[in-house]
Amino acid sequence: MTRWGPALGLFGPALVWVVVVVVGLVRTASDLEAWGPVDRREAAVVGSEACGVCHPAQVASWRQTYHRTMTQPAAGAAVLAPFAGESLVYQGFRATMTRTGFGLPHLRVEAVDGGPPLLDVDVALTVGSHRYQQYVARLDRGGGPGEMWRLPVAWHLGERRWMAMNAAFLEPEGEPGDADDYLRHFGRWNDNCILCHNTQPVPGLVDMAKGTGEAMGFASRVGEFGIACEACHGPAGAHVERQGDPARRLLGGAGDPAVAHPGRLTPGDESGLCGRCHGNRIAADVGAVLREGDGFLPGEPLASVSRPIFADSRVGGSEETPFAARFWPDGTPRLSAYEYQGLLQSPCHQGGAPGGLGCNHCHDMHGDEPDMQVRAGRKRADGCVGCHTQDASHGGHRTVDCQGCHMPRITYGLLEGMISHRVSSPDPGAWVGRHDQPDACTQCHVDRSRRWAAEQLPRLGLAGSRAGEEASEELWAPRVLLDLHGGDPVQRGLAAHALARAEVPVPAAIRLAWLVDALEDGYPAVRWMAWRAMQRLAGPELGGVLADYDPHAEAALRVPAVDALRARLGPGPLTEAQRLALEARQDTTLLSIGE
Amino acid sequence: MLRGVSPERHLRLSLALLALFLATGLWLEAMIGLRAAGWVDDPLRREFLRLGHAHGGILALLNLGVGLAIERLATPEPWARVIRPAGLCGALLVGFGFIVGGLWHGPTDPGLPVLVVPAGALMLLGAVVCAALVRRGDRRPGPP
Repeated sequence: MTRWGPALGLFGPALVWVVVVVVGLVRTASDLEAWGPVDRREAAVVGSEACGVCHPAQVASWRQTYHRTMTQPAAGAAVLAPFAGESLVYQGFRATMTRTGFGLPHLRVEAVDGGPPLLDVDVALTVGSHRYQQYVARLDRGGGPGEMWRLPVAWHLGERRWMAMNAAFLEPEGEPGDADDYLRHFGRWNDNCILCHNTQPVPGLVDMAKGTGEAMGFASRVGEFGIACEACHGPAGAHVERQGDPARRLLGGAGDPAVAHPGRLTPGDESGLCGRCHGNRIAADVGAVLREGDGFLPGEPLASVSRPIFADSRVGGSEETPFAARFWPDGTPRLSAYEYQGLLQSPCHQGGAPGGLGCNHCHDMHGDEPDMQVRAGRKRADGCVGCHTQDASHGGHRTVDCQGCHMPRITYGLLEGMISHRVSSPDPGAWVGRHDQPDACTQCHVDRSRRWAAEQLPRLGLAGSRAGEEASEELWAPRVLLDLHGGDPVQRGLAAHALARAEVPVPAAIRLAWLVDALEDGYPAVRWMAWRAMQRLAGPELGGVLADYDPHAEAALRVPAVDALRARLGPGPLTEAQRLALEARQDTTLLSIGE
Repeated sequence: MLRGVSPERHLRLSLALLALFLATGLWLEAMIGLRAAGWVDDPLRREFLRLGHAHGGILALLNLGVGLAIERLATPEPWARVIRPAGLCGALLVGFGFIVGGLWHGPTDPGLPVLVVPAGALMLLGAVVCAALVRRGDRRPGPP
């Protein structure tokens, strides 16, 4: 052994390690493939499990969200309904929910008065897990063996009961016994639900007749069921491959352009990620969407593949504006899944430029609150004070925060009233004499007129338009009550929702009496909202009577319960003539609006 | 410089290392108590600072053991003169490699300084193996 033997023996391996590390780092640092641009469109979808290897905390937080459970194979804990032999009779058909010998959920639908079953299918997928859960079955109705259909019944989680999908839509009652009517919302999953309820979805429309175009079918596929990591970050195959090199990870620091990082995008582009599903849009090439998916790559502008639907949007060179009914007259979206449009219309968004308001400002996909996913520290007024000075005297409402007035609950979705995502300032005076749009003030002050609201603004130190001439009906009752009786279905539903809000400064007994009439509304969805509003307001003494009422039952079965409630609660504030006059206007504002 | 580590200095430096890494434990405990941002909300940093604290402390104890062992086993001085600095360097590199790699880290991995940890580990391993295998009568290194 040489004189240097001990030193070499002890320090040699460490020196070899140092040489290996230095060579590895230099090699990776100078490797263009490790750092150069990546064709993210061609990258494979790897799935959330692969992401969790390096990002366990992010995947764990995502696992708590309703995004994850947006679509799931119908097995085990994913199925929230019992499927234990329950049945639901609606519009002359009986749906019976059971399980197969293998425990798979199963649905059979048949006419109440006999005949062959309308449907007899195993459930393949569940859709939703927050408000209600819908079910999807594989069924070839001419679109090939890959065709899947949304079933006509859903499980409502809040009420823990089955409901017909027809009743979940804001539209009039169907024709009893009419199978086509019963299956009105028996929608094909492959070219509808798949797009916004899954990660990297491909409807896969194919010509099964090989070029003749006579038999179009679906070979649909998704990167991952539900809204998973790659819905927002883009396909991560290239990222995973690159980051497999530990030297790349150690040298890379924060960020790899092989995936999108929403937090580093401009407010415009990061909001586009959400707008992909939370903002109904018109694709630039619908055919391509049906064949290959929407072509959107997270991190790129959403406008590169589609345009958001607004009230004045037109399709195919037509002069018609087919989407106008989805917006209030001032252009504010009145349905959910248009939150992106609301943001685009908000002055705070500043056109999506840096410094403007984006979805990420208030929402956090990796926070600790799955319901609404509001970012910690941005709740209520804290979402606004970063840009706006907090002034306790502003607005003069001690119990109402910024959102109450500037993001009022004038959006309908999923049988609920929701906040508007168009940040605006209320100006009730400008709308006196109008009956076509709710306003922030009277949605809360449900016992007041719009003129009253306009007159209060100066007292509160706020600017607003001078109230114009009132319509004669505005002298009959508060604004919300006029909407409940004479508004269009969205207004009626929102009025019922408004009457049940906890912060409303009107005794519950009065509001209950006002709501009874809405239990006889022609729209099952409005009846449902009024019934749920009454449940929220009612004490135990009314519980039994309310339990006897079923908003989806036939009229003959509903009437006794409504009569009993009216006898207990007394009449509403409108005379018979006034009520009829308002209800007559309902007929001129019929509209059929989806979820 | 470290080639001149005497037995006494080895033991003193080992104790100094032990004190140093015990002190990092106080620091970590204070950060938990004060809910320091960048600590309680950063699991990767927390994990690597803990690793550095724990490894540094235990490896300082190991150095004390090695120091006493080579004295008791009468390891030939030419070997002992190399074993002592290798043990000390190893403990220092492992402990501080974890700590510094955890303080400045990327989104999913520790920072570059963590790469010195394996080098330190190899030195320590060599030191322990040599202390165990080299006998008092083994031939002096160098030409016969």
